[in-house]
Amino acid sequence: MSERDIINNRTNRNAFVHLPPLVRLEHICKVFGKVRANNDITLDIRPGMIKALLGENGAGKSTLMSILSGRFMQTSGTIYVDGTATRFDSPRDAINAGIGMVYQHFMLVESMTVAQNVLLGQEKGFIISPKAMEAEVTKLAERYGLPIDPSARVSELSMGEKQRVEILKLLYRDSRVLILDEPTAVLTPTETEQLFEAMWRMADQGKSIVFISHKLKEVLAVADEIAILRRGEIVDEFHESDVPNETVLANRMVGRDVVLAIEAEPVKPGSVVLDIANLSGDGMESLSLTLRKGEVIAIAGVAGNGQKELVEVVCGLRKPVSGRVEILGLDWNKFYPRPPRKGKSLAYIPEDRQGLATCKYLDLVDNFLLTTRHSFTSGPFLNRKEAAETTVKIIDEFNVQPGHIEGTARSLSGGNLQKLVIGREFFRQPDIIVAENPTQGLDISATEEVWQRLLEARNRAGILLITSELNEALQLADYIAVMYRGRFMDVFHKSDAAKVESIGLMMAGVTAA
Amino acid sequence: MLGFRIAKRQEPLQWGSFFIFFAALALSLGISCLLLAIQGKPFMRALLLLWEGAFAHGYSLEDTALKSIPIFLCSLGVAVCFRMQVWNIGAEGQYALGAVGATWAVLTFPDAPAWALMPLMFAAAAALGAAWAAIPAFLRLKFELNEIISTLMFNYIGMLLLEYYVYGDWKDPASFGFPMTVMFPDTAIIGSMFGRIHWGAAVCAVVAVMLSVFLKRTRLGFELMAGGENPRAARYARMPYNFLVMLVMVLCGALAGWAGLIETSATLNRLQPNVMVGYGYTAIVVAWLARLRITSIAVFSILLAGLRVGVENLQLELQVPAAFAGIMQGLLLITVLAGQFFNWYEIKRVSGMEGEVDTPGNSGNAGNAGNASNTGNTGDARNAVNGGQE
Amino acid sequence: MITAELIIPILAATVQSGTPILYATLGEMLTERSGVLNLGVEGMMIFGAFGAFLFTYFTGNPWVGLFMAGIFAGVLGLLHGLVCQVFQGNQVVSGLALTILGVGLADFLGTPYVGVATTGFTPFEFPVLSSIPVIGGIFFKHDALVYLSYTLPLIFWFFMNRTRWGLAMAAAGEHPAACSAAGLNPVLMRWAGVFFGGFLVGLGGAYLSLAYTHLWTNNMTGGRGWIAVALVIFAFWRPGRAVFGAYLFGGIMAFQMRLQALGATLPSSLLLMLPYALTIIVLLFSSARGKGRAAPAALGVNIEPGE
Repeated sequence: MSERDIINNRTNRNAFVHLPPLVRLEHICKVFGKVRANNDITLDIRPGMIKALLGENGAGKSTLMSILSGRFMQTSGTIYVDGTATRFDSPRDAINAGIGMVYQHFMLVESMTVAQNVLLGQEKGFIISPKAMEAEVTKLAERYGLPIDPSARVSELSMGEKQRVEILKLLYRDSRVLILDEPTAVLTPTETEQLFEAMWRMADQGKSIVFISHKLKEVLAVADEIAILRRGEIVDEFHESDVPNETVLANRMVGRDVVLAIEAEPVKPGSVVLDIANLSGDGMESLSLTLRKGEVIAIAGVAGNGQKELVEVVCGLRKPVSGRVEILGLDWNKFYPRPPRKGKSLAYIPEDRQGLATCKYLDLVDNFLLTTRHSFTSGPFLNRKEAAETTVKIIDEFNVQPGHIEGTARSLSGGNLQKLVIGREFFRQPDIIVAENPTQGLDISATEEVWQRLLEARNRAGILLITSELNEALQLADYIAVMYRGRFMDVFHKSDAAKVESIGLMMAGVTAA
Repeated sequence: MLGFRIAKRQEPLQWGSFFIFFAALALSLGISCLLLAIQGKPFMRALLLLWEGAFAHGYSLEDTALKSIPIFLCSLGVAVCFRMQVWNIGAEGQYALGAVGATWAVLTFPDAPAWALMPLMFAAAAALGAAWAAIPAFLRLKFELNEIISTLMFNYIGMLLLEYYVYGDWKDPASFGFPMTVMFPDTAIIGSMFGRIHWGAAVCAVVAVMLSVFLKRTRLGFELMAGGENPRAARYARMPYNFLVMLVMVLCGALAGWAGLIETSATLNRLQPNVMVGYGYTAIVVAWLARLRITSIAVFSILLAGLRVGVENLQLELQVPAAFAGIMQGLLLITVLAGQFFNWYEIKRVSGMEGEVDTPGNSGNAGNAGNASNTGNTGDARNAVNGGQE
Repeated sequence: MITAELIIPILAATVQSGTPILYATLGEMLTERSGVLNLGVEGMMIFGAFGAFLFTYFTGNPWVGLFMAGIFAGVLGLLHGLVCQVFQGNQVVSGLALTILGVGLADFLGTPYVGVATTGFTPFEFPVLSSIPVIGGIFFKHDALVYLSYTLPLIFWFFMNRTRWGLAMAAAGEHPAACSAAGLNPVLMRWAGVFFGGFLVGLGGAYLSLAYTHLWTNNMTGGRGWIAVALVIFAFWRPGRAVFGAYLFGGIMAFQMRLQALGATLPSSLLLMLPYALTIIVLLFSSARGKGRAAPAALGVNIEPGE
């Protein structure tokens, strides 16, 4: 977020205030098994207004909007559109009623043009002419201030531009309510500004916009109304004119719950385990850092700023283009492709638990053996019996539920799967642990367990933590490196309060003034 | 909304294989009977003849057992490849090259004693069959050339190669122009073990045991099983993926080559074009039915061998064209594919107000082992944190 | 000595020989653009050839035979669609099974008719165009099916790029979820893809029994179906290059036959290997040019129920 304020240039800001709500959610509840994701929510969505839904992860914002957009069905409660009770059986029903959602994963056909994507399924007539389609899209884009080249192939667009295409799709279908789910997560500061301008123009023309966020500054800048969700319920609603300052908002969001915190005893740093100097190439620019045993270095930043490439280099899945990378004293080319078996090892806990770290349909022993197989090998033979016994011990120690080893990895929930992966990787007694967003998608208790384990591991290893959760970085790390567009904006110790304050800025690419 | 919906099972059914097979068999037989009726053949009698020919008498059982030997060997090889998602459909061509290799050994060293000639034949057959598989493997690894097409083309080329030699240099001058080599000397013929069952059966047993040990007890075997399941995880776990691809192809080529050798030596006692009867394609059916469970492969090999023998009987008694076997095999594979649906999915009744169910492992599509790689859905754009959040 | 009198007949033979391959390639291309990989082309082609023969033989009208060839092959395509779309079967294996089945069916049902002749399509000179020097001789002295095949690539291109159904089908092959989100039905698109794609493949088969020859015999297709599968990749899933590829192979096969007829010293077996070896070489050239990027993104991946 840029430091300078976004100036709200809306002309018609309160032009529609007298109109009845377009959509009304009344007493909406949604239950998933034992979890009550939404509890008795009542909300009005008015034309020409931008409503922000604020809340922490897991507060229930996405669930509520999924119900509104027709993806889920509510457990109880009614949705009124234009005053009439309506039922959405599918997203198509919602779109027909004028409600559309822009998801975080875009639904775009990469190989087709912008115009083709916007008009897909909506073309008039049997024969279509690209020129005519492009002209229509240009007209629409101009009307709402969403500059885009209609003949460009989607695969060539930036994230911000792709998002614009998604919005245009909704506008083309005459959506009256547009739901944006964390839209600025993938945008640069300039693109964020452009998005806000577009949102104002759409609102000026009578559209309702609901946008889900947990970024307070943005919400304050752009929204007309703010609703705060906490634990599945609406705890506050404000109009922009009577919104208090950020601090109050933050407290309301978080409530009396203490932000998840953990006690990290200091550990004396040992020898250098990872040394990177001027690593460049593949989108990375002159990255340098030194990791010691006993330390945790957190690479903080919005996903997609080069973290993946860095991790791949460190874990041997990508050759460094230029620069020096030394792992446990060995040059990259000596350490990989065959890392030394005994003694020095690097453990990688990937973000993609299901697709990369484990094999869904194999049992727990096989999954355990995936990276530990060499420890159970003598000659060409593999000692499965011993492996099974060890697996049982590890499952027990790391509290993986359910604990029978014949079950497949698929039957484990996210948290338990992660614990299995961690148990497995720790078994190898690694000297370096690379953990990528290790608590993503985990609930509070699982997160705490994982954090404990990582901190414990400091006694034997140095930990490189890649995370986009700022809190995680602050809780676990000794040093924080903020990554933006392939560069380290800064690397500093967590005790440096001033720098910690400006992490948000750094994540958005703004260097300290 | 419909009153039921299809849901993916948490864990695929394990025992479904045999049940599905027999249901599929019944369906295939039913449709085949229809076809027979179209051609005016008495289908009830046909079914009986099918059974009789395959399993009813001692003689039939021996026939079936003999045919199951090459099918078993080819199927082992193909199953190993399929496990790695290497779609090797070139077993037929590899079989041909094995036959060619064995024949070369015999024709080059016709006077060698059995203790030297036999091993040489086995070595040559394995070598040529393996080489024939290694080339498409190399093309896949180096050039990403689709192995389905390359192995298939190699089937055609392999068969033509065999014909080239049999019609040409290797033709028996005393054969009156018929394409066949001289009769193999006794030293080159695989002898009988008991009755009509020759030592090829022993080869099958030995190979089965060794493969079983390899897959279950060795590290490479584990890597094969796990790596085939998820190539991305294999790369993550630093498994020698490329080596494994080459290994399974070479293994299949060698085994199919031995099948070719065995048929040439024990069954025909000479090399002729009609050593090619399509065992390589039958192996695909068996491999798909049985996956990589060796006992299942054995059972399905016997069943499909029985099918072939039975169809031969049909040919004899009712003049049913040989293509009938192809129809049965094709139908069988299709019905089994369809039936396997129930291993993975179940049909559930649904009331009006259900939404997405949030259960473990429900995130993302678990695509079938399909040709295209499954792009896993990885982390969402993470929530960037607001700067200065107090 | 290479004179026009020598070249023109060879090129004309190339066109004839390449025509069934062109039909089959475009048919499989349509199926694959919609997202379904159907390796059963060889089986569908020969089954279609048989259907063409059968119905022409009994009705005396080759157009009926032609149509039925399409239907026969299309039905096999629907079977593939059933196994893959409804029963979530592996597309690769289902296609292979279809080949085995199709070849077996054609063989089996055709046994009583082996060697039997029938009427068919005969070449005629295309008015006006056949008088053009050189070009006329090469392209415009063929039968109706060849002339029809000239229009196919254009129609294919126009359909896929300038009609809403073509675009919808392409979307089903690239991103079925986006297709659904847009209110279209990707599953239906794929049904259309396997059926109409199969129909075209059947037409290719019909050419073999009704035009190239006028009889029925075993193994009429000789691997052309597989060559078509390879050509779709070679053509980067676009009709233009498919034409080039089809005629290239047509040329090889025509050339092969001529050499054999002339009693060439090269043994026929080696000559016969040419098309298959060439297929691999041709694919090697495509893979070097990044064929992966051109393939429909969702090719071979089934649409799961509830998606």
